[in-house]
Amino acid sequence: MQGDTKHLSPYVYFDERLCIGCYHSVRVCPTRAIRIRNQKPLHFHEHCIGCGECIRVCPTGAMRAVTSELTALEKDHISVALVSPVLYSQFPGIMPEDVLNALRRMGFQHAADMSYFLEMFQCAADEFIARNRISHQAPWPLISPVCPVVVRLIAFQYPSLLPHILPIMRPVALMAREVIRRIIARYGVTKEAITLYYINPCPTKMSPERLTFHHEQPCIDKVLGINDVYPELFGLLEKMQKGDRPDLPPDQFSYGVTGHSLIWGMSGGEIAGMKSERTLAVSGLKETIAYLEKIEMGLFQDLDYIEFRTCPEGCVGGTLTGIDKYLSKNFIQKAMLNMGLKKRVCQDEILCLYDEGGFQAKSSLAKLAQRFAAQKKPLSIRELSEIDNILEKIKGTDCSACGAPDCKTFAEDLVRGKASMEDCLFMKKAQ
Amino acid sequence: MSSLKKIFPVNKKDFIHAGEASIYVKNLLKSLQIDPKIIRRASICGYEGEMNVIMHGGEGSLFLEINPDKVTLDISDNGPGIENIELAMKQGYSTASERYRELGFGAGMGLPNMKNNSDEFAIESEKGKGTRVQMVFYTGGGGHAG
Ligand SMILES: Nc1ncnc2c1ncn2[C@@H]1O[C@H](COP(=O)(O)OP(=O)(O)O)[C@@H](O)[C@H]1O
Ligand SMILES: [Mg+2]
Repeated sequence: MQGDTKHLSPYVYFDERLCIGCYHSVRVCPTRAIRIRNQKPLHFHEHCIGCGECIRVCPTGAMRAVTSELTALEKDHISVALVSPVLYSQFPGIMPEDVLNALRRMGFQHAADMSYFLEMFQCAADEFIARNRISHQAPWPLISPVCPVVVRLIAFQYPSLLPHILPIMRPVALMAREVIRRIIARYGVTKEAITLYYINPCPTKMSPERLTFHHEQPCIDKVLGINDVYPELFGLLEKMQKGDRPDLPPDQFSYGVTGHSLIWGMSGGEIAGMKSERTLAVSGLKETIAYLEKIEMGLFQDLDYIEFRTCPEGCVGGTLTGIDKYLSKNFIQKAMLNMGLKKRVCQDEILCLYDEGGFQAKSSLAKLAQRFAAQKKPLSIRELSEIDNILEKIKGTDCSACGAPDCKTFAEDLVRGKASMEDCLFMKKAQ
Repeated sequence: MSSLKKIFPVNKKDFIHAGEASIYVKNLLKSLQIDPKIIRRASICGYEGEMNVIMHGGEGSLFLEINPDKVTLDISDNGPGIENIELAMKQGYSTASERYRELGFGAGMGLPNMKNNSDEFAIESEKGKGTRVQMVFYTGGGGHAG
């Protein structure tokens, strides 16, 4: 890493030399973790939930995602690529199997396809819903555990909704567990000899200790953004199109991509493969927040399950993709027509595993929520009145010139002693 | 003694802004860090009250007062009023039209829920004049409310 680049949070690198002190990131941050002071950003990194919005809007590239760098794959390790289905949609017109083969040409011993585990997850989710509709134990609606930004947003801003998160292991964790099991069985090695790379479009799933934030044992060793591998894959796939096809034996981890797995990358793709009909798919950060606010007020209890994705249009709109989300969507919709929506999991097997506790997520979200809560100092009634009075005075235009995302945040900073009235342009003019 | 008073306009048929006042109230209570269970009860009541003004009422408002020991919600409107309050308070009683029911409203649980979720509940209404619902939630005065 270059000299002046620093870890802003577990999810974001910040390069001060590239920063021009603009307000773009200040305004989009959902946890209001950024201010501008003396033309330089001030980051409350402990408030970062890794949504990637700042990375998306930064005009100079000063904010970047933290990913494991794709250095030469370690020779003495068995390197396995765990592939998010979004990767296939980055290469319109190319068969998913070819994408997996190209990854193996890049040097991964195996490239594992996630389709089967998505089906497993959906089946287990349906089972949990059905059982709890009878036992009345879970609060409604249940919330999908899949999007890591959503679960962290809940831990940060809506801790009372933590019990709504479906306590089923996420597909990537189910996948990692199975891949490790089969590699150990096949090669007779220990877990230490295996390196699992997760290739996905999201800046928030990075590194094992961060993975524990949402639900499961850390199984994944390294995480790569799709954009980290995109250029090389693109080149290899072009060669393959021209007939330069290596003679690769079939990979035991290619489960056969179905329409169900392709559609997973789009908003609505998760619930499309579920039996429950009282479901809803919501995508986008603002939209997600609006819904969480209402669930917290007791609304939507007649729904079973809500799939949330904070990225627009779902994971195809992730921060670390290779192509535009609408192009991916278009490809997915066309490819689905050819592939169909067949399912392969055996329901009885899933139920057995379910009853053995094989899907139970060990969540560390409650701990995370406590950590977040510890950073939030409560305001008193007097301070809340003061905030109101200040807002009355400055007549909020939310211009951000003070360096805060909006007037309300500025007023709160002021009351907390973290800003001064002179920072407000409106008050300066009035004087 | 410190107290915070705030008033939010709520108007009939304004479905676009439905729930905004209650969300605002909820977030104020959250920044005071009072018991989440009380926040949940108060925001459910605020929302039901808001929806009643929007669906059945007229021009109105949600008035909030936060004191160290209690939170008061006072929701009133100058709409058509309620002819038979006792009937309106019954679970499942609703005059909402089919159209509202298709949107998921009009289960007739609003007023009963408000009564059940508040520590003090009062409703007054006069036909042709309007309706007023007052609810109090005791917060115990602990924590940082003071
Ligand atoms: N603000 C109001 N103005 C006029 N009528 C009201 C008002 N609030 C409630 N009502 C009447 O009381 C009935 C019961 O209210 P509620 O229990 O909230 O059920 P719902 O709103 O689902 O109909 C309503 O259908 C309506 O006839
Ligand atoms: Mg009602």
